[in-house]
Amino acid sequence: MTAAVITAGLALGLFGCGAAGTGPAAGPNTRKEQSETPKESVIVVMGPSSEPESGFDPAYGWGAGEHVHEPLIQSTLTVTTADLKIGYDLAVEMETSGDGLVWTVKLRDDVKFSDGEPLTAEDVAFTYNTLRDTSSVNDFTMLKEAKALDEATVEFTLNRPYSIWPYTMAITGIVPEHAYGPDYGSHPIGSGRYLLKQWDKGQQVILEANPDYYGEAPKMKKVTILFMDEDAAYAAALSGQVDLAYTSAAFSEQTVPGFSLFSCETVDNRGFNLPATPAGETDENGVALGNDFTADIQVRRAINLAINREEMIEHVLNGHGTAAYSVCDKMPWYNPTAELSYDSELAVSLLEEAGWKPGADGIRERDGVRAAFQMLYPAGDSVRQALCEDTANQLAAVGIDVTVEGVGWDTAYDRAQSAPLMWGWGAHTPMELYNIYHTKPGGTYAEYSPYANEAVDALMDAALASNSLEESYELWKKAQWDGRTGITQAGDLPWIWLVNIDHLYWVKDGLKVADQKLHPHGHGWTIVNNVDQWVWE
Amino acid sequence: MTGTKKTGSRRLTMLVLLAFAVVFLGAVVWLGEIWQEEALVTDFTRKNLAPCQTHPFGTDWMGRDMFVRTVTGLSMSIRIGLLTACISAGIAFLMGLAAAVMGRLADGIIGMLIDLVLGIPHMLLLILISFACGRGFFGVVAGVSLTHWASLARLLRGEVLQLKESQYVKIAERLGKGRFYVAFWHMAPNLLPQFVTGLILLFPHAILHEASITFLGFGLSPEQPAVGNILSESMRYLVTGKWWLALFPGLLLVAAVLLFHYIGQTACRLIDPGSAHE
Repeated sequence: MTAAVITAGLALGLFGCGAAGTGPAAGPNTRKEQSETPKESVIVVMGPSSEPESGFDPAYGWGAGEHVHEPLIQSTLTVTTADLKIGYDLAVEMETSGDGLVWTVKLRDDVKFSDGEPLTAEDVAFTYNTLRDTSSVNDFTMLKEAKALDEATVEFTLNRPYSIWPYTMAITGIVPEHAYGPDYGSHPIGSGRYLLKQWDKGQQVILEANPDYYGEAPKMKKVTILFMDEDAAYAAALSGQVDLAYTSAAFSEQTVPGFSLFSCETVDNRGFNLPATPAGETDENGVALGNDFTADIQVRRAINLAINREEMIEHVLNGHGTAAYSVCDKMPWYNPTAELSYDSELAVSLLEEAGWKPGADGIRERDGVRAAFQMLYPAGDSVRQALCEDTANQLAAVGIDVTVEGVGWDTAYDRAQSAPLMWGWGAHTPMELYNIYHTKPGGTYAEYSPYANEAVDALMDAALASNSLEESYELWKKAQWDGRTGITQAGDLPWIWLVNIDHLYWVKDGLKVADQKLHPHGHGWTIVNNVDQWVWE
Repeated sequence: MTGTKKTGSRRLTMLVLLAFAVVFLGAVVWLGEIWQEEALVTDFTRKNLAPCQTHPFGTDWMGRDMFVRTVTGLSMSIRIGLLTACISAGIAFLMGLAAAVMGRLADGIIGMLIDLVLGIPHMLLLILISFACGRGFFGVVAGVSLTHWASLARLLRGEVLQLKESQYVKIAERLGKGRFYVAFWHMAPNLLPQFVTGLILLFPHAILHEASITFLGFGLSPEQPAVGNILSESMRYLVTGKWWLALFPGLLLVAAVLLFHYIGQTACRLIDPGSAHE
């Protein structure tokens, strides 16, 4: 009797488990309901750091912040296209003066803000002048003044030539002059595809399609964004309560019933700087600059050769990544001569030639300098930590001793001036090349790692001063390698790039996420750039 | 007769267990010293392994052997605990003694200090001091040792106040011996049992607090093998079913703390004259 009950119970239990494993019994029913009334809402989970702290105000980094994305609630003058060139949103025509200092943009005249007021050139000028004065997160210092010439024409006057101005215009949401104030961030009015319906700070943001949108009406009428930690996001997907949840390589080997893993290629790269000057100098704040080992160009080249990127991607990212050779892989301004293949033998012979001979403990040395450095990573970032450890393992094979250390961002910037730090970059603008490689205005070296090359600087300055984007792309490429000098393997190589990390998401079966552009750094809002085109099938 | 035999055997059992606890903890410290290099070794070809024969505690997401890492972490914890408990107990001893023999003003100031330290939530003060000292090894040691002396100091002060009233101390004073002579020659030996017990019982506190503060990210830097780091790292992987990352290190930490507690209590019973005949 008892045995029978137990057996029955066991059988039930097993059956229950089996059913849960293959998808809950309720699954087909809910799907049926969906097919009767096509679902037009979606619930998306992002990390807690993606929640805009100061709200949806471009002046405080909404869209135009540290991690760039389309502002959704506001419209922008231009947009970046699928191949990361420039297309139009509010703009219909764009013109620059011969010296590149004056930009004239004509606007479409049928655009209204969600409160019914028309969007005019005055609003555009107001937006840009406000951002120039108040934006603390994005660089608008090149803008001298924005002026409305008539209802639908705006003129930007710049302080210095800035040929990639359209890339700034692509992330700057236009705010209404008549409805802009201190609480704009939490009550934004825009002319974009969506309206902010509700924002529960620390929990969720609900967006609703803008009925008066001037473009194609959004197919997804309601978008709910939840902010959760990675493990909570995974649990939310497991429970089936959300439609799309961000995740990382650490979770990629799991399976979630009713969901599949969606992987987006990115330019969200990880790489490290190699101080290109010998130790001894300090900057004006007394921060030590330079590193005796990495100051040797042959050493930097050998390190680049000794890194097996494919193996690293398998090890650290479970295969969810692509090899990176520059800060801007696959962008229109990327120079593919940066690519090289793993060759540890060549790396060893470069080191030998340069006089780095193995010492008693197998670590190379030259004139009393050990082939060793400390490698830093931001504490708490397990992916960067693993990349450092794998780099250390790979470099140990050619006789270089790397010690890995986690540091806080409070000291990381200063310490990176004399030791390699594992960075993450990748943006939809060539300005990133400038920020990393160009000598700091008024300084001796580049900002993040001591390095300077006048020829590279000159080419980047020329790129900024050029008259057309197409021409500037070529100059940006030349700044990376022009046949004689540059920042690639054959050039000075002050930075080494390892991987572009795929952005991973759990996507509920039936949800069709529209094609994605290469995602920039920041695993957040970028995924919903085109949420208006997502559909349920 | 039988009674004595029983007493003897109980004392013997206690001594044996005590010896076992000391040997176990000693072995952990010793192994941790030997495995310092090995605990940092990453090998991505063996990542995320469940416990098996070659890796009894499994491996983590960078292929580090969790057994080696846990033992090294615990060894680090014990050493930090040892250092901080000694510093704390030293401070408590001096404070307690000074409060009692250096007059009213000193007593008042020390009493205030004790109240101040005991009044602020422990963890808060610990984080504050560790952060101000730049985190890392030094931060943790400074934080833990500057927050753990107060209750022992209060206890010792009470003892000293009591001793001050005893006949032989008064006689010594009448004989013209100085305050400090009396304090160190006549009082200190009597404080020894409380001091030793208090010192040993400080260990578990110090170890747990070292682990907590590192867990919260204000202690040792994250690549160092420390139990706090191991546990905070494991939190990320628990949801994906990697239970071994938290279970074994946690158990071992609890075991170490309990053993120290046991050693403390046993030592107290063995030293305390009142329980000599139990």
